Amino acid sequence: MIEIILLVSSVLFIFALKLFGRPSTAHRANTFAMLAMGLAVFSAFNFDFSKYDSAFYITIVVSGLLGVLISKRVQMTQMPELVGLFNGFGGGASGAIAYVELSGNSLPLSDVFVAIFSMVIGVFTFSGSLVAVMKLRGKLNNFNKKLADIFSVFLPTIIVIPAVLEMDDLLIEFIILVALIAGIIRVAVIGGADMPVVIAFLNSLSGIAAMSAGFIVNSIILIVAGALVGASGIILTLLMCAAMNRTLLDVLKGGFGGTAINNEYEKDPISTSPEDVAIQLSYAESVVIVPGYGMAVAQAQAAVKELTNTLKDKNIEVKFAIHPVAGRMPGHMNVLLAEVDIDYEDMFTLEDINSEFSSTDVVIVLGANDVVNPLARTDEDSPIYGMPILDVDIAKQVIVIKRSMSPGYAGIANPLFINDNAKMLFADAKEGLENIIKSFELV
Amino acid sequence: MEATFLLTLLITFLASFIGYELISKIPQTLHTPLMSGSNAISGITLIAAILIYPEVGESQLLKIIVLIAIAFATLNIVGGFSVTGRILEMFKKND
Repeated sequence: MIEIILLVSSVLFIFALKLFGRPSTAHRANTFAMLAMGLAVFSAFNFDFSKYDSAFYITIVVSGLLGVLISKRVQMTQMPELVGLFNGFGGGASGAIAYVELSGNSLPLSDVFVAIFSMVIGVFTFSGSLVAVMKLRGKLNNFNKKLADIFSVFLPTIIVIPAVLEMDDLLIEFIILVALIAGIIRVAVIGGADMPVVIAFLNSLSGIAAMSAGFIVNSIILIVAGALVGASGIILTLLMCAAMNRTLLDVLKGGFGGTAINNEYEKDPISTSPEDVAIQLSYAESVVIVPGYGMAVAQAQAAVKELTNTLKDKNIEVKFAIHPVAGRMPGHMNVLLAEVDIDYEDMFTLEDINSEFSSTDVVIVLGANDVVNPLARTDEDSPIYGMPILDVDIAKQVIVIKRSMSPGYAGIANPLFINDNAKMLFADAKEGLENIIKSFELV
Repeated sequence: MEATFLLTLLITFLASFIGYELISKIPQTLHTPLMSGSNAISGITLIAAILIYPEVGESQLLKIIVLIAIAFATLNIVGGFSVTGRILEMFKKND
């Protein structure tokens, strides 16, 4: 009976991933995954609920309610932090289980290896995720890189410890400590704009930790689900890395960006006013908006929607061009736009929209910088050389809404800003858009 | 013993492969809910906690650690699915 429930659960998990492939069916995918999870958890009790005391049930109910409460209250702009936090919890749980198995039982040596692996990955995911959350909230600055490098060499060596040393509690605790510190330091050296990679990578690790916990307790469903999460995280990680033309190792090494390398301009940019932008837009037939992290920071989504409506009312075509690493997690911009009811059919990926820029009348760059920097195509010495960018510089006119000429994460000047077809509207993303909308009423 | 281990390894490989194939087809628009959803699934480690809880024996410390694992995993599962549902709801009404 239990086997049949578990079989159904595994199939549902895989089916859920299949349904996830299209926005129209994706909400059903979540229901399927929840069902699969419910069945899997139910089966673990093996129809014997009396084995468990009240402390057990209270813990489940309280933390479940807490989970619902947190998820209902969180704002969409805080989604990267929330995913990071939950990630840490998942990793922490796997790490704790591996610890209990290691210290409570006398496991065969092969299981000891798996348990230590699971524990190290789980604990690393836990502390690394918490640091990622702090970084996303802007509470932590970059960290001494050399110290982190020494630690990273050290970390894999502790996994082979049981081969040479008898395991005892002190040794296990030492390994936990090392994994904790390693997680903290490794993530601490990585800059904020690299967080999409970090979050996806930690997501993958939490799956791998769960999968290896499945090997220790001999649970196939745990292995299957863990492997699915591990695969999903790795895919997203590699996609994010490819979108920046960097390797995972290079991102994890940290120390990239955050400091201005070169922010010199040959000439002054042309600055414009909300009124002029409104006039310019009302003569356009096609407009493409390129949102970046600046839109999330300024909470400008509602203003974006309003401007979109205003333009569409004038029969102007509006599209959104979203770079894969825009924002702080994969798909971050899409969620923020969906929140204000912008149709996902209007959101385009880099591959889909780059060929259209040459015929676009006006591009509005909203709080994005490095992802529209043409140096990525031309300057071999640039740190972003080779990174796929949105080719907005070839559009007929470009309006950049940005507070100042300060460089983006890569720390370099963006020649787009002084291009002949570009004008700067110096404002916060939300304020700038609102002023443009107001000016429309006067046009 | 050997055969079961190899079978388990085979299942692991197949699951990773299916996961890779299916997830590669998910559009960029859905990457955030994909992350929060797969994140919720990683809380499946709750099963391991349920399996070992009755077997921790007398040690209060170990019992508390398993309870912490249960709390973390449950939060991860319930919170993760709930927030994923919220996000996907936003994509649904456009269809």
